[in-house]
Amino acid sequence: MRKLKYSLLLSLITLLLTGCYDKTELEQQAYVVAIGVDKGEKENTYDLTYQIANPEVGSSITGGSSDEAPFELVTVQGIDFMTATATANSFVAKNITLDHTKVLFVSEELARSESFLRGMQGASRTSEIRRQVNIVVTKEDTRTFIETNQPQLETRPHKYYQLMLGRSTETGIVPQSTIHRFFQLTEGDADLFLAMYATTQGEDDKTEGNVDEYIAGQIPKEGGNPTQFMGAAVFKEGKMIDILNGEETRIALILDNTLDMKDLLVTFQDPINKEYQVAGDLSKKDETKVEVDYKKEGPTKIDVTVPFQLEVLAVPSLIDYTNHKKHREKLKESVEGELQETADALVKKAQEEYGSDPFYWSIYIRSQFKTIEEYEQADWNKKIWPNADVTINFDMNRIEFGKMLKDSDLEEVWD
Amino acid sequence: MFPFVKKKDKQQSNYKPINKKLATNDKYIGQLFSAKINSDFAVREIVARYSEEKVAIYYYATIVNGDKLYKGIIRPLLENVGKDLKEVVTLESINEVNTFEDVVEHINSGKAIIFENGNDTAYSVDIAQFQERGIEKSENESIIKGPKEAFTESLNTNISLIRKRFHDKQLINETHKIGERSKMEVNMLYVGDLVNGEILKNVKDRIKNITADNVRNIEILEQHIEERPYSIVPSILYTERPDNAASYIEEGYIVLLMDNSPACLVVPITFWAFFHSPEDRYLRFLFGNFTRIIRFIAFFITVFVSSIYVGISTFHSQMIPPDLLLAITSARERVPFPLILEVLLMEVAFELIREAGIRIPNPLGPTIGIVGALILGQAAVEANVISPIIVLVVALSGLTSFAVVDVSMNYSIRISRFIFIFAAGWFGMFSLTGAFLLWMMYLASLKSFGVPFFSPLSPGYKSPGNNLFRKIVKKEIWRSGNVQPKDIKKKQTN
Repeated sequence: MRKLKYSLLLSLITLLLTGCYDKTELEQQAYVVAIGVDKGEKENTYDLTYQIANPEVGSSITGGSSDEAPFELVTVQGIDFMTATATANSFVAKNITLDHTKVLFVSEELARSESFLRGMQGASRTSEIRRQVNIVVTKEDTRTFIETNQPQLETRPHKYYQLMLGRSTETGIVPQSTIHRFFQLTEGDADLFLAMYATTQGEDDKTEGNVDEYIAGQIPKEGGNPTQFMGAAVFKEGKMIDILNGEETRIALILDNTLDMKDLLVTFQDPINKEYQVAGDLSKKDETKVEVDYKKEGPTKIDVTVPFQLEVLAVPSLIDYTNHKKHREKLKESVEGELQETADALVKKAQEEYGSDPFYWSIYIRSQFKTIEEYEQADWNKKIWPNADVTINFDMNRIEFGKMLKDSDLEEVWD
Repeated sequence: MFPFVKKKDKQQSNYKPINKKLATNDKYIGQLFSAKINSDFAVREIVARYSEEKVAIYYYATIVNGDKLYKGIIRPLLENVGKDLKEVVTLESINEVNTFEDVVEHINSGKAIIFENGNDTAYSVDIAQFQERGIEKSENESIIKGPKEAFTESLNTNISLIRKRFHDKQLINETHKIGERSKMEVNMLYVGDLVNGEILKNVKDRIKNITADNVRNIEILEQHIEERPYSIVPSILYTERPDNAASYIEEGYIVLLMDNSPACLVVPITFWAFFHSPEDRYLRFLFGNFTRIIRFIAFFITVFVSSIYVGISTFHSQMIPPDLLLAITSARERVPFPLILEVLLMEVAFELIREAGIRIPNPLGPTIGIVGALILGQAAVEANVISPIIVLVVALSGLTSFAVVDVSMNYSIRISRFIFIFAAGWFGMFSLTGAFLLWMMYLASLKSFGVPFFSPLSPGYKSPGNNLFRKIVKKEIWRSGNVQPKDIKKKQTN
């Protein structure tokens, strides 16, 4: 008994030898909130930019010296995220942690090259970068982007990214583009990965367009932060091939069941008075129905039904859609038609130009194969998708007209 | 087994029979009580009218009622006539005593002993009047809705308080004597046709096996009869509320009472008894359960908030939301100590305030508040000794610890908290989980007089369903099966 007691005690003491392994005090760490990846000078090296949050700014607990900058920006050359932090530690005093990274910026230049996929491998391996981190493709190089990005109201960078990414994915003008999804789609060897597209460089020749027919940089605006998040970078097999504008991104999100989006504020042409437009809040409560009828020979049939609801927000033409059934039906037809048209155009573009789909529809065909090999041989990207016969059917199952049923009678007002 | 040995033993001590001659007896008693120097030991010698014999009355002047002595004993002896002494003395209780051992015991417990010349039997008359305070409100287990009475230091009052609440002919008050030098009475109250015989025997044996010179009160008794004196958790419930005690008796538990303690012991007991407050049952179903939830959260917070804070912020910074993380980090940038030391520092400081708060004389009471709140809370933060969030964490864990009503359980929880803080500081959540697991295993392995600590929840028994939550009163059909009452059905279902 005594022997047992002592040997137990001794074996417990050995546990103490480990000490406080892995222990790091909070203030000994530098929290990276955003990582930027650019093409390096040499082949297969990268310029890695780390945006490190300054905890003393904006936290009111002790009111640290407020004249410090809200973040520190460091750029080092390296071959992956982790080893570069060690290099960066030659001039950053604290242990650089990537745990709280919110965004991964990738410059368009790098995204369009082959070395992007190589560089991304590090992100999947390390446990420090979360897989929920969003990939954002920037038009310019990422350091310029982060430097130029100066939000007036959210000086603390992590808050800005959190809110900005959250809200812009909610409105559907950019897709959710997590690292996890990137690898899922890239390794699935079918479908296109959509990444957020952003820039701080406004273009001079602003194209005239509808509310969301822009890509980042084209939005005509005054004031505010120069940064714009709009549109989606299209990745095929880990390489960027094109950019979708805001409207196309929204359509892609509506058609894709794996991505979420909340209220879409959109405008349609007024079907009766074509000078004006009708603004509405489009929402999709039910899932998009995708029915795939796979034919080994001949084109596969893909039938898609999108149930949606519309809440009319503004009718500048003052046409009384509320009380006239005929008008309402006309509006319904025109809205559905317009959506269908855009969707058809996007599908056509995807079939002819991209040779793959940005809607993650390959998951609906997978169940029709018995083995993975069979599925791989059928080849979604090369054989099935480009030749598929796609019909998209938008189905508005409810329309609301807001609080006020009637608009003002202008004739009487201007009398 | 050997009655003759026992007899010999008795004779050696005070088992001396009473002599017929008063003078001999008087001399012997004088020796026993050191009457010459024992100032409140009184003797009154008179000549009884009924027998014309000399009579001596012995008693302690400080523990008898003088009025009763005069009206009930001395005056009748002087004035009344009758056949024998029992007829003359008019008081309600009069007993014959034959040995000096009994004489000593009776005098010590506040009775007057009457010796008669020419009679080898003495008479003991109960005129005891020990000083005690009145029935007051319960101070440590206060409730809003429900009876407010609390036990006092008087045994008879306490029994009366329980009998008042539970009118049952089977409510038995069994008395055992303990202590070698000072014989004290332990009263066991239980319902004869409910209590489990084995448990009752177990408790009786433990009480009988106590070998101590003196067991003054119930608090000491608790330590004599408990199974694991080194254990971190108590195995006996200590309550000062008679209504609480009565409710346990009704369920088939045993209540122990002694003089000199304003409380009783309830055995056997489970974790739930420490978790419950009698008010849970006085409140309506929903309200009672609401307080249970709150109390459970308080239990959790008081045990874990400091350790989880230590664990997460020293090992798992990725689990903290960035806003909070940056706030803590900025606050910690000027703090000289590691985080675990910070937490320990404040926890110890809080324990100091608590200990000082109990011991501090009443007039100085407010000082502790000022010192505690101002010095430790504000000044320590301003001096950058600790970070403000630590004050929050420790205040939270300190405040919630008061939701653990039972004094003993309160200590268990507070000690466990330190164990968990050290565990968390060692390997983070990993070792904290491990420590918690071991702790739970230990608790689950405990037994109080043969009853598992977490029963009737685990292992499961038929029960009124009164563990974490309680049922509505109408639906409480069974008594707690874990104490194996003779009659498990609490109410007839119809």
